[in-house]
Amino acid sequence: MALMIWGTSSNAGKTIVCSILCRHLHRIGIDVVPFKGSNLSLNSYVTDSGAEIGMGQALQSWACGKEPVAEMNPILIKPEGNGKMQYVIDGRVHTPKPERSDMLVHACDAFDSLSAGHEVVICEGSGSPSEINLMEGDIANIGMVRERSMDVILVGDIERGGMFAAIYGTWLLTPADIRSRLKGFIINRFRGDVSILDSGIRELENRTGMRCLGVMPYVRDIILPEEDSVSIRKRYDGTFEDIRARYNESLDRLTDVAEANLDFAYLESLI
Amino acid sequence: MSDSKRGKALMVLGTTSDAGKSVTNMAICRILSNMGYRVCPFKSQNMSLNAKPTSHGHEISMIQELQCIAARVEPSFRVNPILLKPTSDMKSQVVVEGKVFGTYDVGSYYSDFIPNHSFDIVRDNIGALLEQYDFVVMEGAGSPAEINIYEKDIANMRAAEVADADCILVTNVEWGGAFAYLLGTIMLMPESDRSRIKAVIYNNLRGSPESIRSGAEEIQRITGIPVLGIVPHIPNRLPKEDSECFRGVKEIGEGSAVIGVIKVPRISNFTDIDPLYGEDVTVRFVTEPDELNGCDAIVLPGTKNTLSDIQWMRSTRIADRVLELAGKVPILGICGGYQMLGKRLFDPHGMEDPSIKEMDGLGLLDVDTYWDSDEKVTTRNAATFIRTGEKVKGYQIHMAQSNVRGRPLFDIDGEDEGCCDDDNMIYGTYLHGVLEAPTFRKFFLNLIRPGLAKESLESDYSLNVELEVARVSAKIKDSLDMDLFSKLFLEVE
Repeated sequence: MALMIWGTSSNAGKTIVCSILCRHLHRIGIDVVPFKGSNLSLNSYVTDSGAEIGMGQALQSWACGKEPVAEMNPILIKPEGNGKMQYVIDGRVHTPKPERSDMLVHACDAFDSLSAGHEVVICEGSGSPSEINLMEGDIANIGMVRERSMDVILVGDIERGGMFAAIYGTWLLTPADIRSRLKGFIINRFRGDVSILDSGIRELENRTGMRCLGVMPYVRDIILPEEDSVSIRKRYDGTFEDIRARYNESLDRLTDVAEANLDFAYLESLI
Repeated sequence: MSDSKRGKALMVLGTTSDAGKSVTNMAICRILSNMGYRVCPFKSQNMSLNAKPTSHGHEISMIQELQCIAARVEPSFRVNPILLKPTSDMKSQVVVEGKVFGTYDVGSYYSDFIPNHSFDIVRDNIGALLEQYDFVVMEGAGSPAEINIYEKDIANMRAAEVADADCILVTNVEWGGAFAYLLGTIMLMPESDRSRIKAVIYNNLRGSPESIRSGAEEIQRITGIPVLGIVPHIPNRLPKEDSECFRGVKEIGEGSAVIGVIKVPRISNFTDIDPLYGEDVTVRFVTEPDELNGCDAIVLPGTKNTLSDIQWMRSTRIADRVLELAGKVPILGICGGYQMLGKRLFDPHGMEDPSIKEMDGLGLLDVDTYWDSDEKVTTRNAATFIRTGEKVKGYQIHMAQSNVRGRPLFDIDGEDEGCCDDDNMIYGTYLHGVLEAPTFRKFFLNLIRPGLAKESLESDYSLNVELEVARVSAKIKDSLDMDLFSKLFLEVE
């Protein structure tokens, strides 16, 4: 089975929410793997077999208690500046740019191979799924949901405000043929008393038919590799520190918080 | 304008915080002012720790002061009649018409302040401005579509209703999801509010406008609301309301010396740092003790909660590292940072934190600080730097008073202000903006290394701000459909 996590924007918290779901399912003994059809990032990780994948999928793989493999991120697009992109397909640099239809087939093949070998695949979208100027060529969001029929959870970041509008607008702009796949939403990075959100959450549920799966509080002092920053932090005294252990510790802390605040029973029912 | 002589209200709304409302508002103020209109900015309610006193000693948000520069008007308390200054995640000091009104938590703010006070405050002040100006350019706060507090949101559509404002909705395309944010914001509003939105702006685009044109046309087709402009990312040196240090940026600039700015949790008036960006320095925002390694100077900025931020400095061990470096590198504390550098802090009434009555400071300056009055100092000052006799200017915003036994730093109308240690390495002052004038900035930078400060004397920061306002406003105007702007907002109905 598979579940897709979309974000209402970049940095809404997709990577983290996927990591939390992976760690939770791993904790309860499910054989789970992460997947992101197409990832636009400069922050990559090299697997044991020498394949280059997005750092986010490496983190999610560790959350699943597994070593990362190429299939978890079959297409990695690395901006080289001046609008040029480097395409990494199945972990290796690919020139020239592959056709979009080939890339989608590729992503589906990688997904199928993971899906055949594991109980659950937690899929991550890319950016916002409602870039209506780019929707035709979309792989990671609408492309995968259409090709492999999976339910979708939206993650909205409340830190900058406008979260209700972002979730409602994303729902409105989701093509009619897959809108019914949107089952729920998670509100991320909230500071304060959750009860103040109640009336807004009810209204959003009524307007869309999606269910609120909970409000994830802002958790301080989390050390995780953000996709667009460095994975190994440079220390100011010039030494480098491998902080994978600190990632794992942060992930466990986040998952504890999530298990106390999110409706995992409903999430598990979707898979 | 119409015969009633009552001005017209425009309002800039944003789909999120950081959408670009403030700068768009600033540009519209300048554009209208350049057309010969009398124009004034307005933001009913602002949550910010970057405040400035007006010439009458009223506290307003720094960003409305900047918009006043753009509008070419003298700032008054009316331009920002409600200012919220968070003292913790849950509580804010509420400043009304420039003076402290009270302290509220989220619950009492919405159950008491909003229904009982806010509407009258907004109505009175916007009304007074509309009598006086041709245009009042209002700014919303956050998103106008927070449906959980919609009827209580005095900063957005309720203020628009009071002023009968025509609105422009701005969205930041940088993070993705801009079409969804725009459409969702518009569609969540009731029709009576939605009809106020006359145009949208796509802001902060890196790349060609053509890349988003088809999407923008689709949103226009769905909503019927035209596109006023697709505005590019415009790098600028304008003072920022939300400092870049809050967006994960660790360092700004690449200079020959590193200045460590301690990013305390309640950092306030961090525009004090802005004048350093034009100098040959790297400004590093320090949140861990290791990050002080290699720093050639340290700045302790202002804070809205000195006592709890000293505790944070101790628990992170940044305090230990600052003490190790004291005497080796120059240290400057401004306002809350100055209080921290002193010996003892006394807060018998628990004004900063009910659980702390007194505490040791870092002990680097012979100064004690007392919180024993509700009176808040909010003044603009011209001061003399005692060491050189040169002039500086600045402003003060603080509740506490400090008792200085050490050597004073400045002279303000015959009164001593600030403190300096006997080795001339540690400096503290209540004067915000003290680095804006080149005199004291030069002195401090040359302590790091003689000749480090730029020589040119026209580097008075306030002159740079006026030039930036003009440059950025012109650049934004270039990206707007000014025919549409005139048709929507300037033609007499």
